[in-house]
Amino acid sequence: MNVGILSIIIFLPVLVAFSLLLLPVGAKGSRNAAFFTSLVIFVLAFIIYEKFELMGFMQFKEHYNWITSYGISYSLGIDGFSLIILMLIATLIPSAYLWLWEGRTKGYWVSMLLIQAGISGTLFSQDLILFYFFWETMLLPVFIIIGMYGTGNRIFSTIKVTVYTIVGSLFMLISILYMGVAHFNEFGVWSFSLQDLVSITDLSRVEKIWLFFGFMLAFAIKIPLFPFHSWLLQTYSNSPTGGVFLLSAIMAKLGVYGIVRFIMPLFPELYKEFAPYFVWIGIFGLIYFGIAAIMQVNIKKMFAYSSASHLGFIVAGIFSLNVYGMTGAAYLIIAHAMATGGLFLLVGKIEYDLGIKSISALGGIASKAPIFTVYFAIMLLCIVGLPGTNGFVSEFLIILGIFGFEHSAGIVSALSILVAASFMFWMFQRAILQENSNKTSKIKDINKKEILGMFPLAFLIIAMGVYPDWFFHKIDPTIQHYLKDILSLRIDG
Amino acid sequence: MKLPDIIYILPLIFVVTGAVSLMLLSTFKSITIRRGIYFTLLFLVLAFVSNLINMNSFDEAYSVYPFADLFNKMIVIDTFSDYFTVFLLLGGILTMLIGLHYFENHKNFSVEFFSLFLFSLFGMILLVHSNELVTAYIALEIASISMYILIGFEKVKNKRIEASYKYLVLGSLAGVFFIFGASLIYASTQTTVIGEVGGFISKNINMDASLFFIGGTMILITFLFKIAAFPFQNWAIDVYDGASLPVTAYMAATFKMAIFGFMLRLVLIDFGSIRDEWYGILVYVIILTLVYGSFLAIIQRSLKRMLAASSMVHTGYMLIAFVSVSALGESAASSIIFYLVAYFLSSIGAFGLISYISSDDKLRITYDDFRGFAHIRPYMAAMLSIFMLSLAGIPSTIGFIGKFYIFTGAIESGHAILAIFAILATFVSVYYYFKLIAVMYFFPSAQMKGEIPPLKGVAPIVIAFIAVAIIWGGIGNTFVAYFPGVDFLINTAKEAYESLFINCYLVQCL
Repeated sequence: MNVGILSIIIFLPVLVAFSLLLLPVGAKGSRNAAFFTSLVIFVLAFIIYEKFELMGFMQFKEHYNWITSYGISYSLGIDGFSLIILMLIATLIPSAYLWLWEGRTKGYWVSMLLIQAGISGTLFSQDLILFYFFWETMLLPVFIIIGMYGTGNRIFSTIKVTVYTIVGSLFMLISILYMGVAHFNEFGVWSFSLQDLVSITDLSRVEKIWLFFGFMLAFAIKIPLFPFHSWLLQTYSNSPTGGVFLLSAIMAKLGVYGIVRFIMPLFPELYKEFAPYFVWIGIFGLIYFGIAAIMQVNIKKMFAYSSASHLGFIVAGIFSLNVYGMTGAAYLIIAHAMATGGLFLLVGKIEYDLGIKSISALGGIASKAPIFTVYFAIMLLCIVGLPGTNGFVSEFLIILGIFGFEHSAGIVSALSILVAASFMFWMFQRAILQENSNKTSKIKDINKKEILGMFPLAFLIIAMGVYPDWFFHKIDPTIQHYLKDILSLRIDG
Repeated sequence: MKLPDIIYILPLIFVVTGAVSLMLLSTFKSITIRRGIYFTLLFLVLAFVSNLINMNSFDEAYSVYPFADLFNKMIVIDTFSDYFTVFLLLGGILTMLIGLHYFENHKNFSVEFFSLFLFSLFGMILLVHSNELVTAYIALEIASISMYILIGFEKVKNKRIEASYKYLVLGSLAGVFFIFGASLIYASTQTTVIGEVGGFISKNINMDASLFFIGGTMILITFLFKIAAFPFQNWAIDVYDGASLPVTAYMAATFKMAIFGFMLRLVLIDFGSIRDEWYGILVYVIILTLVYGSFLAIIQRSLKRMLAASSMVHTGYMLIAFVSVSALGESAASSIIFYLVAYFLSSIGAFGLISYISSDDKLRITYDDFRGFAHIRPYMAAMLSIFMLSLAGIPSTIGFIGKFYIFTGAIESGHAILAIFAILATFVSVYYYFKLIAVMYFFPSAQMKGEIPPLKGVAPIVIAFIAVAIIWGGIGNTFVAYFPGVDFLINTAKEAYESLFINCYLVQCL
């Protein structure tokens, strides 16, 4: 049997995780194994990136029958949009591991490995049942990592986030099954693969609307889109650093990914029809979560809202129905993952060293930990969207896209960037710069591993901001394909 | 290949011989509990093997009446019945293996227990083989009466006796409905042979079928009682809770399977004409079963009662497939069979493991008793988690595949609304199943009291085997050739369904 490179990326972490569980390996051994695995995956991902052809269609396909009587197959593939998220995972995870280097137990590393496997599986699946399989299975290590290694009211948080997410995904499951049955009724063959389900024609408009929202609910909860965000705050603030890092930087993006990968091709008409609502919901989320972020005293909660705020922006981008908005959204997915992920790691260090989460108790970090502060500033400027960072490029493109979509929405979104700027700079001034009590006197500057770990993020933030074409050319054909072939829109520019 | 008739009924003969000889042997002091269990297992394995030989002597779906001149179609041997027999015997074998530790450590068991156990199993196997209503009634009563005694067997516990009586009184009443229904059916169709009843109805379309309808509904009531569907559910929790753990496992997993097996045969072959009439009733039965079962499951503090209540919810899922059969769904019938297998594995694993853990003096039955369990017994906690995940229907377990078929079948036959109710019940079930996992993993180990038996002996191996089977059932596939995976189970379930219609008496078949 010929094992493809995508399968290796999915199952290598699983294999390592289960070997770790069965072998008498200590925490350090587990960490080294996990780190090494993530490096191998980075290399594999890089190979894919190099070999990836500049086309809009699926590449690196793998296909095996799984449950033949229902036409369910194990089929994988990636296109430009999955590719950038794959590169994101491959780059971010080793970096994060360097930051999580000390003081974690074996179970923690096993969970991290399994989450990574689940994310990759979700990202590559071309069969809806397979997608659901990974999407749901991924919850278990998340459940464990928050429940076992979290802080505060962790048990309540973990049950809440699990139940919340499962509600969404169960409705998605029903929608998937409904489409499978529709395919069977129309063609007489069972199939759950995306390219077969796209060809269904005899669903009524009402049915399609129900199905659309069945899928949308699952993704909206994962992102989270307003008003499905009530799990967010507790989960982010009680998760351990590794968990919140993965949740905010990568798993939230899978919600956006799901919309683009599944909802857009399955319901192109409804996608176009409902786009205005979702653009406005996105912009509303941007402002609403931004204002909520200003009011937070807890630094992790503040970042949780800031993250949700930018995800609203991303959603507005993908529903803007033009090249600028979509490309900008794809770019913001990367930028935001790096910046927010980086910030959560940095804040995690503060929490780990000092045990402080409240902004007002911090302060005076800049003078004691200068390198830390530099990194912090880069991430923060990226989120605010300062020119020279990839945050600027992506936000600029999205605003352009939204302007192309509707002028009033464009104006509102451009102005709401100010909200992000205000809460970020205010927080930076209070938590990092200004001299405060001696509570922060114990903080040490980051060590070499951490400098090394954060470097790729900081480097990419700036490199992608200065020379964006380097990345655009990989994703551009895919976006053209989405707009032209799937949504059948005219492309100008 | 046609074998001599005696071979076909060998499984039945082995089980009943085992039962009778154990009854006789129980007077000897030298037959200890352990020997009794070995003896039981011996006969079960013999029956199991002979059943597999039966199945493998045919290449495709089959149906024969053994000793037709003697029994006159009272008993049928087809793929359907043999498929169920495999799992019934497997249920018996697993219950014995898992209960080994429990039976030996609780002083009040004696060898008669195993004799009765075999008798009940004989009744169940006969039930899935029976092709005639009176035979079915006798089989059902053999199984039930043995069950009443098995439940109350541990004499010292008042709870056991209460459960036994409760089940006895209510169960007998429900049994009476069956025999009354059968006589009404006989009155209107002049036959009680399954197949001929349906044949009569299809030949006389213009007759007044109201007696037949009432009779069928009476049988439906017995069926709903035995599987503990709303509104006949009140006995379930107390009886399940009152019985000793291996018996509970046996009842929840195995007995239900036999009853579904018979009812499917009856409904699929004979009751085609009243299935649609039932739909209006069954929809409410299903919804209320799901809602009430979920509600009961949430409020339980005891794990055993929670599993008992949640078995009601699973009954609700199976009933969804049961009504889906009526319309189009060819896949719906095989989906019940598959779901029964999935539920059987998960529940016998869960009950078995809990009974193993609580086999010493200290009974571990509430959620709180499991605080920090994972830190002391990581492997057991992992297995228990697998069973919970499978019951909750999380992907990568056989429980998910089972739900997948049920929901697909429901949507296929146009019952998307029921599927949505099932989804809501599933979502509630996540709460009470995950709670156990959370309790086991997220609390420090210091809160664990009493002694826990280590992983030793046969029971843990068997339980681990079940856990692996659950995972294999959830992800296994054609990658490994010649090893039965999901596809194999589904195809056999489909074959079993087809075998019901080999001897068809309906007008359209003639």
